[in-house]
Amino acid sequence: MNPEVQKQIEQLKGIAENPKKAVNDYIAATGKKAVGCFPIYTPEELVYAAGALPVGMWGGRRTGSLADKYLQSFCCSIMKANTEQSLAGDYDMLSAVIVTTYCDTLKCVTENWKIAVPHLNIIPIVYPQNRKQKSGQIFFAEELQRVKGKLEEVLGADIADADVEAALNVYEEYRKTMQMFTEVIRDYPKTFDAVTRHLVIKAAYYMDKKEYTEIIKAMMAELRKVPAEDASGMKKVILTGLIAEPVEMLELFTENEMYVVADDLAQESRQFRVSAPAEGSCYERMAARLAAQDGCTFLYDYGKTRSQRLFDMKKQYNADAIIFCQLKFCDPDEFDYPIVKKDMETFDIPMLYLEFEQQMESVGQLRTRIQSFAEMMD
Amino acid sequence: MYLGVDIGSTTSKAVILDREGQVVGREIIDIGTGTDGPKQAVEGALKQAGLRRTEIRKCVATGYGRLLFGDADKQITEISCHAKGVSYLVPEASTIIDIGGQDAKVIRLNDRGKVDNFVMNEKCAAGTGRFLEVMARVLGCKLEELSDLADRGKDGVAISSICTVFAESEMISQLSEGQARADVALGAHRSIAKRISGLANRIDVKPSVVMTGGAALNHNLVQAVADELHIDIISLEDPQAMGALGAAVFARELDK
Repeated sequence: MNPEVQKQIEQLKGIAENPKKAVNDYIAATGKKAVGCFPIYTPEELVYAAGALPVGMWGGRRTGSLADKYLQSFCCSIMKANTEQSLAGDYDMLSAVIVTTYCDTLKCVTENWKIAVPHLNIIPIVYPQNRKQKSGQIFFAEELQRVKGKLEEVLGADIADADVEAALNVYEEYRKTMQMFTEVIRDYPKTFDAVTRHLVIKAAYYMDKKEYTEIIKAMMAELRKVPAEDASGMKKVILTGLIAEPVEMLELFTENEMYVVADDLAQESRQFRVSAPAEGSCYERMAARLAAQDGCTFLYDYGKTRSQRLFDMKKQYNADAIIFCQLKFCDPDEFDYPIVKKDMETFDIPMLYLEFEQQMESVGQLRTRIQSFAEMMD
Repeated sequence: MYLGVDIGSTTSKAVILDREGQVVGREIIDIGTGTDGPKQAVEGALKQAGLRRTEIRKCVATGYGRLLFGDADKQITEISCHAKGVSYLVPEASTIIDIGGQDAKVIRLNDRGKVDNFVMNEKCAAGTGRFLEVMARVLGCKLEELSDLADRGKDGVAISSICTVFAESEMISQLSEGQARADVALGAHRSIAKRISGLANRIDVKPSVVMTGGAALNHNLVQAVADELHIDIISLEDPQAMGALGAAVFARELDK
């Protein structure tokens, strides 16, 4: 691969693999504040508009016993790791944390977090069930302004509508760029194997989006000079779910000659596959963008369109199979699985159910599952 | 001559096929990955077949320890190997329930005997061979005596927990309350059968159903699973060696 592309990849991978260092370095270099953003569809634009760095809080490898004071054993590993890391002080560089409220755990844990880590200034955000209706969008636009007000208090900043507008434009450029990027890297399945693809996309959560977008654009410009890589003999898979981690699991895809031709992951493409409309105020545009998100189990999805989306993606990218990435104890996905399974069987699309935790010390069973699936497709 | 080696968590199995596909050597050793069990199993199978290692043309390794067995031409998962071994002996098989030492798998086959879909248990010992070992210890009998003990049970005691650790506590409580060992054994078999059936139901069980793995030697458990699923289960003479047999069949195919 082109050395310039390799250099850019290594830079982004380094950031994704060391998020704490990346955020601390950013704060030290810029003097800016940082705000934690729980998964998913968090209005990072508001944080950016306040002149602070939005930081994705997507769990991690840290395990311990501190979180047990607040969480049951059946909470997902993102929640466990976020709580453990916060109680251990790993997130003390944050001025506030926006906590989303998608699942039962998130809905209930917000109050616990307020007493567990009061110095992190917890800001809950509520998403409308009926996000497509006008009333739902009005509610969400108002909710965004409430969150903006809380951020102003905590950060001591005034956030004008023009600031939010400018931030939204930065994020729209990021989303548009990533939509192109995921198309471009499909031609380079060896350079952008499952691990690299994931880490390069993930790095965006710990960087200024403007700076990140520039790097991705430069990478795409370099990639256009490089001939496509030979993918013969490799299986094309589509990942669906909340996340696909740890990287040791993704390495197993490469080990078994599979590459990710597209994804339907909340941590990855769902963050950028939908752009905001051009019309309306910044808050109306953000609410309309949420309304346009479909096929995601974390948002009320009338008619359960996820299977149809996967079917369309499979067809569009000529994929060989779907991998259902089930983070253990992520109940929204667990409830979706029987529906998606039935539909994939009807569509005659091979699908692997892969259950995992972020903090797995051994991937032996995952290896058997993934290798068996690869053998099954041969 | 073709060698299949199945290195599981608790046992090592080896099967040797001749050119015509007949089993000429077979050995099972009660120690698995991370031990010299695989070596012992191979030596035992070679001895039975009257062969030297150099006379083996191809070798396939399977099971959890497959990647550590350096002497193989290919490593293939136990899911593919069980499918291969079972369909070699029972061509009409459509579903395999494999209960290994540390995991349980349900494998659905297509009409060509290839894996069509599969499910594995979660990271938990419930519904696996490990649970049977725990039961035997609590009931004070040998693993191979469990089935006969449960046969003598009249009214199986309900064991409600799906967790091996809690089920063990429940069994101890039932015994201390004066319940007969045989009834507790029967209840525990039914409990594990429910767990296995729950896993099987995730994949839509289709007849004919074959049970493999060491737990399939426990006829009381096989019957309890059959009762729970309301389906007949075909018993094999040597269910524990199916993975190794499948590996040997793959090894033979490699030479073609």
